[in-house]
Amino acid sequence: MKGHNGLYLMGNYPDPDTFIEAAVRGLDFFDFLEVGIPFSDPSADGPVITDAAEAVLARNTTFDDVLGSVRRIRERAPVGKTIYAMAYANTVFARGIGNFAEKASGAGIGGVIIPDVPFAESERFIKTFARHRMSFVRFISPETTMEQIRKIASGAEGFLYFVSMRGITGGRFDLDAATVKKIRAARKCSPVPVVLGFGIADIQSARRALDHADGFVIGTRIIEILKDGGVDAAGEFFCAIAGGVGRA
Amino acid sequence: MGKKRIIAETGAGQHGVATATVAALMGMSCTVYMGSLDVERQAPNVRRMKLLGAEVVPVDRGGRTLKDAINAAIKDWARSVRDTHYLVGSVVGAHPFPMIVRDFQSVVGVEARRQMKARFGRLPDFAVACVGGGSNAAGLFREFVRRGGTRLIGVEAGGRSSEPGQHSASLAYGTPGILQGSLTYLLQNDDCQVLPVHSVSAGLDYPAVGPEHGYYRDGKIVEYGLCDDAAALDACVRLTKTEGILPALESSHALGFVLANVKRFRGRHVLVNLSGRGDKDMNIIERELGL
Repeated sequence: MKGHNGLYLMGNYPDPDTFIEAAVRGLDFFDFLEVGIPFSDPSADGPVITDAAEAVLARNTTFDDVLGSVRRIRERAPVGKTIYAMAYANTVFARGIGNFAEKASGAGIGGVIIPDVPFAESERFIKTFARHRMSFVRFISPETTMEQIRKIASGAEGFLYFVSMRGITGGRFDLDAATVKKIRAARKCSPVPVVLGFGIADIQSARRALDHADGFVIGTRIIEILKDGGVDAAGEFFCAIAGGVGRA
Repeated sequence: MGKKRIIAETGAGQHGVATATVAALMGMSCTVYMGSLDVERQAPNVRRMKLLGAEVVPVDRGGRTLKDAINAAIKDWARSVRDTHYLVGSVVGAHPFPMIVRDFQSVVGVEARRQMKARFGRLPDFAVACVGGGSNAAGLFREFVRRGGTRLIGVEAGGRSSEPGQHSASLAYGTPGILQGSLTYLLQNDDCQVLPVHSVSAGLDYPAVGPEHGYYRDGKIVEYGLCDDAAALDACVRLTKTEGILPALESSHALGFVLANVKRFRGRHVLVNLSGRGDKDMNIIERELGL
């Protein structure tokens, strides 16, 4: 499929087997996988992903359980396709950043996205992850200034996550002129693909993302489809998106 | 700042009422997030907020208390930051919120210190305040920390017991963690999930604590103690009967700590911060005491 695109799945949702199967099928089409590590207080997530995290945690799922599933995905997915963990700061910090990094990289995680760590606080994470050959994915949002964009984008690793709208996951996709300009500035400085996330839910929004950026991430919509139709419905959705977006 | 709307979270409802009041005064629209459990148990303040024209949004996530209200307010603000100001109610959240709230609250400490000197011609030996998020304590302590001369004590909610989920004493039982933008002491399990908490008082029912309190504790600048539900209720009743002052259940924890350690404080000048009044707590007090 055209672009450098990712799918987001909540770790072990709706159950470990469905999660693993959906991830493997998704990676037939998508270039990378984001695995949400369930957290009790997901402040960047809308109701759909928050519900999914709550459902997984209600079964007493642990970080190690999710890593166990990631290991099985890693065995079956093509080597060139990176698996990222999307984890909240406490998940990484409270168990020791080094301890987190060792476990995550041991399971085949290639990079980490931490939505509640701003760039200004990221150094200790970046350094530790680097020792374990994991990238720290940086964020840019419509509120980031041009000066900050240049600074953040120029050292980006893995991919550069451009939050395409003000808000939380699952909102409506909308790009204003100022945001488009910021995406362009980020692409100019970034050594890695600039990927749009938050609010991309169908072929139309995916295409619009690719008009301006190097790729997109779909999350909330996939979680809804998995919940209602299971892995087969998700597979059909992946296929439809790939078909609708077009070949590289 | 060009903002047209104010949002806030509230536990006991005190900060919600204050925010709704200022919004009404300034002609701004106002949304207050409040855990649905707190909406039930602090109903008088909910009515006051509504009367002032604020929209009160009950939050049904998690333990349905203060932490969950803050999460909801953060999510609102991520969408609305362009035209909305988030007026955080405690010394929590990302920098610079803990500092802003502490500095605004510090007027309490400045005035209390001045009044003690005017009234007694000396500083208090001890200043005691309850700590949930810790804003009233941070405000009281600020001037005393800067100028010294008084021993400071923060009192956390001991709840029903020291078992996880039965209290909200993050300095006593927590470990370092990151919640809602602060690196602080956090009540969490082995897998780094935030634990449920309990306190009879909605304003103390929070699994973390303002990060500066962690700093104060680690640096032995402030001592932190505990008062459980029953001792707080006792202290509330005692002050009502002996002085005719009905203190909030939050503040009753500070008072309860002093009464429980009366030997240590006898004959000394002790300043206790009565950070709120207890009218809002009447239904809890009646239920707990079987009145």
